[in-house]
Amino acid sequence: MPSTESDSLDRLSPGLTAVIAALDFEEADRVRLMELGFIPGSSVSCQRVVPLGDLAIFQVEGTQIALRKETAARITLQPSSAGRNPDADGG
Amino acid sequence: MPTAVEPHTETQHRLPRKNRAVAICGPPNVGKSSFFNRLTGLHQKVANYPGITVEKRVGSLRLEEGEQVDLIDLPGIVGLHPRSEDERICVEILRGRSDTLPRPVAAILLLDSTNLQAHLRMVPGILGLGLPTLVVLNMADELEARGGSVDVEAVSAQIGAPVVLASAVTGAGMKEVVRFLQGSFAPARKVELPVINNIPAERKWAHSVAARSSYHAPEPSLWGRRLDRIFLHPLGGPLIFLAVVVAVFQSIFTLAVPLMDAVESAIGVSAGWIGALLPDSMLKGLLLDGVWGGVGAVVVFLPQILILFLFIGLLEDSGYLARAAVIADRSMRAVGLEGRSFIPLLSSYACAIPAVMAARTIENQRDRLATLLIAPLTTCSARLPVYALLIAAFIPERPLLGPFLGTRAAVLLGLYAAGFFAACGTAWLLKSMVLKSKPAPFVLQLPAYRWPTIRSLAFRLIDRAKIFLRRAGTVILVTTIVLWFLASVPYQDGEPPPIGESLAGSIGRTIEPLVEPLGLNWKIGIGLITSLAAREVIVGTLGTIYGMEADEGSPALQQALQSELSFGAAIALLMYFAFAMQCMSTVAIVRRETGGWKWPVIQFAYMLVLAYATGFAAYRIFG
Repeated sequence: MPSTESDSLDRLSPGLTAVIAALDFEEADRVRLMELGFIPGSSVSCQRVVPLGDLAIFQVEGTQIALRKETAARITLQPSSAGRNPDADGG
Repeated sequence: MPTAVEPHTETQHRLPRKNRAVAICGPPNVGKSSFFNRLTGLHQKVANYPGITVEKRVGSLRLEEGEQVDLIDLPGIVGLHPRSEDERICVEILRGRSDTLPRPVAAILLLDSTNLQAHLRMVPGILGLGLPTLVVLNMADELEARGGSVDVEAVSAQIGAPVVLASAVTGAGMKEVVRFLQGSFAPARKVELPVINNIPAERKWAHSVAARSSYHAPEPSLWGRRLDRIFLHPLGGPLIFLAVVVAVFQSIFTLAVPLMDAVESAIGVSAGWIGALLPDSMLKGLLLDGVWGGVGAVVVFLPQILILFLFIGLLEDSGYLARAAVIADRSMRAVGLEGRSFIPLLSSYACAIPAVMAARTIENQRDRLATLLIAPLTTCSARLPVYALLIAAFIPERPLLGPFLGTRAAVLLGLYAAGFFAACGTAWLLKSMVLKSKPAPFVLQLPAYRWPTIRSLAFRLIDRAKIFLRRAGTVILVTTIVLWFLASVPYQDGEPPPIGESLAGSIGRTIEPLVEPLGLNWKIGIGLITSLAAREVIVGTLGTIYGMEADEGSPALQQALQSELSFGAAIALLMYFAFAMQCMSTVAIVRRETGGWKWPVIQFAYMLVLAYATGFAAYRIFG
C-alpha cells in the first residue's frame, strides 16, 4: 500500500518499491553507495527484513544488497513514491 | 582454442606484438575467475604486485604462431573512484602507472548480461582510459535460460567498442574473445560518452543504451527468492547455518580418513623402499627421519585441507556465504565489528597474510588497524594439521548427534569458535578503548545463487594444493633438515648421539622450564620454536624427533604423543596454537603494513600471553 510515511528507506515495508531521492552521507560513503546502485532516481524495493537483526535486504539496479537500518535511515525516498511491487517477496 | 584470423580488408587495430598484457576487469560476481580460468587453463600463477601487495593472478594464453598473451585478473570493482586500495591498483595498472607491470595493450571489461542496465554504467569509465577494450557480456547461458535477450550489435554501436555475448561456463563466445586477443577487431566508431564520475548521469546513459539495444532483462529467478526465504528464515536460517558449519567440520574428519590413510601408506611404502635401497649412512637418516618423517608427517594432512577448501568453495560459489554473513551479522554487531571488517576476517580462514593485506581496502585507519591486529587470531589453514594431529591422538571419537556430529569434529569446531571469539573480543577491546571510530555504513552485496561448477572448484583445489605443497617443500623441508642436523651432533664415538644429548636436545632442555607449566616436554618446546617459521612445522618437527628416537621402525606419531603427553597437556597445546602468533611471516607483514615494530610487538606479546594463560588454565583444569 502506498504510504506517505515512508520517507526514508528504513521505513519501506517489505514488498514495497520507491524511488530514491537523496543520500545523506559523507562524500566517500555516498559515492560507495551510489556505485552499488543506490542512485537518486533509481527505484528500490525492500525484499525482506532479516529477523532478529537490524538488517534489511533491498533490490536496487538489479542487485540484492543488505543494509543496516541506520544506514537505510539516511537514504531518503521521493515522497509518495512507494508502491506495491509484484516482484518483491512479501514475507 | 585459437581460431584462424579472418581476412580483413579494412583497417584493423593491431595490438603490439611484444610483452602483450591484457587486463581483465569488471564488477564483482560477474564470473571473472571462471572467465580467466577458461582462457588460461592451468597456465596461471598467483602473483603479488610488489609494493602494493594485493594478490592477483596472471595467466597466459597461447595464440597461433607461437604468440602469447598475458592476462591480468584485476580485482572486482564497482567504480573507478580510486578510494579503496583495490580500485587504486586497478586504475594504476590500466593507466600503466604500475612499476612492476607494463601498461596493458588492451582491456577486457566483463559485465553480467543478466543485469545489463546496471553494469553498462562501468563502460564510460573504462573506455575513458583509452585502451582498446572488448566488452564481454558474460552469463549468456543464464540470460537465455531466463528468457532475456539483447542486440549485441546495437550495444556495440552505442558504446563505441566491440561487444561479445559470452558464457565462461559453456564456452560460448570465447572464440570471439580469442580473436580480440589476436588483435583482429575492427575499431569501433567514436561515440559520445557521458561525463565520467557523474553516477546519476552514467546511470541514465546506461539505461538508455540498454533500452535502445532492445534489452530484455531476464525474469527474476524465482528459486533465488525461495532459497532466501529458507536461508534467511527467522528460525530456519540460523539452524541451517549451524547445520552447514557442523557438516563441514564433521566431513573434515570422516571424508578425509580414507584419503589420509592412502597418503600415509604411500609415504610409508616409499620410505620402506628408500630404507631397503640405501646403505646405512647419514644420507639415509636424513632422508628417512628428516625428509620423510618430517615433511611426510605434514603432507598427510593435505586431504583435510582440500576438504575444507572444497566446502568453502561450494559455499562461496553458490552464493550461500553472503547469506551466512547476513545471519552472522547480529553477533558481529554485538562486539562492535562493523561493515568492511567482516570480509577480511572471513578470508583469514585460509591465511592471515592476505587478510592483513586486504585490510588495506578499509579507508578508516583505525578500523584497518583493528582488523589487521585481530586477523591472526582467526583459525588459518596452517593450524589445521596441528589440530587434526592432536585431536586424532587425544580425543576418542564418539557420536554426539548420531552420525552428524562426533566428538572430534566438535572439538575442532570449538577451536575454530575459540579463535573467532577471541578475534571478536579483541576487536571489541580495541574499538572501545584504543581505536574508537565512527562506524562506516554496513553494505553487503548478495550475489545471485548459482550452481558451483566442477571447473571452478577444481581450480580452487589445485591452487590450495600447490600452496600447501610449496610450503612443505620449502619452509617445512628446510626447518626439518636444520633440526635433523642439530639432533645428530655432536657425534659420540663416531655415532650420532641419543637425541636427548644432541645439540637440539640441550636447546630443548634449556627452554623446558618455560613450557613445563603447560605440561609440555622439551621435544614439544623445540616444536614451539621451529613452528615460529610456520605453524604446521611442529608436526614435521615432532615427526623427525620421534622418528630419530625410535630404534626400530618409527611408531606412529600419534602413539608417541599419547605416551608422552597427558590429556590436559594436549588441550594446553591446542589452546597455545589457537592463540599464539606462531608465524613470523605474519609478524613481518604487520610490521610492513603498520610501518614499524610497535604494533607487531604488541600483537605478538598479547597473543603469547593469551596463549600461555589459556594453555596454563587448560592444563590445570584437565590435568
